[in-house]
Amino acid sequence: MLIIETFQLLLAGFASALTPEHLLMAALGALIGTFVGVLPGLGPTSAIAILLPVTAVLEPTQGMIMLAGIYYGAMYGGSTTAILLNIPGELSSVPTCLDGYPLAKKGRGGPALGISALASFGAGVLGVIGLVFFAPILADQALKFGPPEYFALMILALTLMVSLSGGSLVKSFLMGAFGYTLALVGLGPSSGMPRFDYGVPALVGGFDMISIIIGLFAITEVLKGIDEKRTATLLGKPGSVYPKKEDLRVSAGPMLRGGIIGFFLGLLPGCSAAITSFLAYDMEKKLSKHPEKFGQGAIEGVAAPEAANNATSSAGFIPLFSLGIPSSPPLAILLAGLMIYGLTPGPVLFEQNASFVWTVIASMFVGNAMLLVLNLPMVWVWVKLTRVPYGIMAPIILMFCTIGAYSVRNSMFDVWVAFLFGGLGYVFSKYKWPVVPLVLCFILGPLLEESFIQTMAMGAGDFSIVLFRPLSLTILLAAGALLIISLVLNRRTQQRLKEERDRGVDVA
Amino acid sequence: MSRREEESLKRYKQWAAVILSLLLAAAVSACGNQGTAELAYPSKQVEYIVPYSAGGGVDLVARAAADYLSKEWGQPIVVVNKAGGGGAVGAEYALKQAKNDGYTALAVNVSNTTMLAAGMKAPPITSEDQVYAARIGKGTLAFAVKADAPWKDFAEFSAWVRANPEQLTWTSVGPAGFSAFGVAEWLDVIGADFAKTRMIVTKGASDSVPKVAGGHAILAVHTVGEIMPMLKAGKVKILAVSGDTRSPFLPDVPTAEEQGIQGLSVFWWTGVSFAKGTPASIIRKWEEAIAKMEKDPAFLQKLSEIHVEPAYAVSEAFTKETQAETTYYLELATKKGIRK
Repeated sequence: MLIIETFQLLLAGFASALTPEHLLMAALGALIGTFVGVLPGLGPTSAIAILLPVTAVLEPTQGMIMLAGIYYGAMYGGSTTAILLNIPGELSSVPTCLDGYPLAKKGRGGPALGISALASFGAGVLGVIGLVFFAPILADQALKFGPPEYFALMILALTLMVSLSGGSLVKSFLMGAFGYTLALVGLGPSSGMPRFDYGVPALVGGFDMISIIIGLFAITEVLKGIDEKRTATLLGKPGSVYPKKEDLRVSAGPMLRGGIIGFFLGLLPGCSAAITSFLAYDMEKKLSKHPEKFGQGAIEGVAAPEAANNATSSAGFIPLFSLGIPSSPPLAILLAGLMIYGLTPGPVLFEQNASFVWTVIASMFVGNAMLLVLNLPMVWVWVKLTRVPYGIMAPIILMFCTIGAYSVRNSMFDVWVAFLFGGLGYVFSKYKWPVVPLVLCFILGPLLEESFIQTMAMGAGDFSIVLFRPLSLTILLAAGALLIISLVLNRRTQQRLKEERDRGVDVA
Repeated sequence: MSRREEESLKRYKQWAAVILSLLLAAAVSACGNQGTAELAYPSKQVEYIVPYSAGGGVDLVARAAADYLSKEWGQPIVVVNKAGGGGAVGAEYALKQAKNDGYTALAVNVSNTTMLAAGMKAPPITSEDQVYAARIGKGTLAFAVKADAPWKDFAEFSAWVRANPEQLTWTSVGPAGFSAFGVAEWLDVIGADFAKTRMIVTKGASDSVPKVAGGHAILAVHTVGEIMPMLKAGKVKILAVSGDTRSPFLPDVPTAEEQGIQGLSVFWWTGVSFAKGTPASIIRKWEEAIAKMEKDPAFLQKLSEIHVEPAYAVSEAFTKETQAETTYYLELATKKGIRK
């Protein structure tokens, strides 16, 4: 596949993304996403988790467009609360707080929001351009991936996720094992035989991905909110959201640099936006002529991490679509979304569902533009939302969760599962047990099992073919190398988080 | 509080009221109106479960049918893919876990009915668990190998397999799926040892054909329509089709019979079934609507685009044919050791 061909595909994708129906989906997604994103404590991950069942009734393309819109919208909502309230929706918004909140305190919250939207948009555009260049390279390799390669890929994805979830490796590993154990319940992927059902009919169908995700991410978040007695207090007038010429001049460089860092690191499977946004922020601080201004309300300190954050999220779609490896929790849930539509991400997705993939990529661009057009003028509506007392917000979120969990299979069993995992998730977060490995192993475990069995069949019972095929061996080696790199980067990010915590930033 | 703040608070209260009332409306409508199914079916959306991944034959036929029926009935017929276990996972869900109120239909096909019953000693679902409403379409079986594979025709390939059964790897949809019976029947006819060949279980055609195109397995046995995309891309070639006539979609490909290999009877079909105990009036309604659908030029055009031949059968005939097929497959599976 050539770049020219890819461009044609992208243009066709745009043609499809710009149909009124799809535009509406992108707009709805962006709006709903922002709505959930500005609620204190709800980030992109919870937003996608809550809204996944809502989109499941749409056809795949529309559903994915909406989910991508929700994703970007929620990220922008998270930046809004980070700047105005000092509450990051996700770890990746923490660096945005560092200068965003001081700016808001100075009454320059408006321009900070404007720059953040611009930076996100710019990085999003950069991401789409990058996708055009990198996707075909990966897609071209599609058919070379056989069962052994997929097996190696899953190993790569799982080791990375386990290592990247921060905190203790042993805990991550145990949580991963727990997730896989849950996935074993139900009919086996290769045998079609029921397993671990203990004669309970409800268990024959296995646990549903969505109800577990709703429980662990959304319900847990509500419980935490009640526990912390969350309230939000708004500062004074943030002023106009349209940044001045001076702001733009100062931010242009950081935006570009942050976007480039974010994009290239985001291509690495397993490099999350939290890592790149911190890196971008720290780099700008190093490059700056006035590093002392950082933390006191430097607009560059908003532009760089916001651009990095968004570029990483866009770039993350490449390993997600082409290899099936999600590099961050929200992408892991998007992966679940793809699976619901029966679209198994992997090299073959580009080959067989090219129009779907490029339509979604084009809508990412459209969604970013929407955010710029919709959110900047509407920012006051969102800000008002953050002042809704948690006592009103929590039941509404819970209601959504219940409807969502029930609507998956129209069974109360799934609702109980969601609430059970909500409680479990609360305990997990209290004792710092990471839930991402659990979710990922739950999703990828069955795929790993399947490629393992297929590989065994290919090798006539000899599993060593995994080591004798150049591609699968390379992937396994890459898994090892990336694991080491990510551990180093991760340690650094943890270190920085700790520093900021010590300085009193409210980090979840 | 200043006047301005009061103003904004008021506006915000209105906002909140609007949002809350919307939510309540959504919640109330979600509760639906149970118990009126008899009066006017369908009175709400119908879930149409496809037990395979998107893009396969069963899925595409179901989507075409769902499109037509949604317009016909003015209610959304929503296709939901639940893949896994050779079609057993989705079927199990539609027939055992969902209510038998006619609002969960199953895109049933040869792999998760007659073949499943023949291939498993204790199948999770059987014909007794369901009511066959109507058959919609059928497909011819095609034998595909990698585009640059060394065999020029099916006879030559069959001879090679007879000599080297241990070197044959073939992809299948589930351990007792469509491909398994096609391969078993063919190996039985040519006198090759089925037990020595190796089956690679996949999730469906969209997962299985690329494995052959990429050289990870030698043979894929699927319907003509499922192999078409990779055939057009020039990544695979079709050595033969089964049945007694050439496929209307591949007039240049000879049947196995033309190449001296007689008796390949396995064919693929798909239709609609419901959980046992679904009201007969609802089954009639589907029978009639599908009969009408099979005359709709737009629907027939869609079928031809996905390379499926129309093959309508009413509930009774459909049920009889599946019984006969089960008997034949049971014999084949027992002989070949597919029955687990």
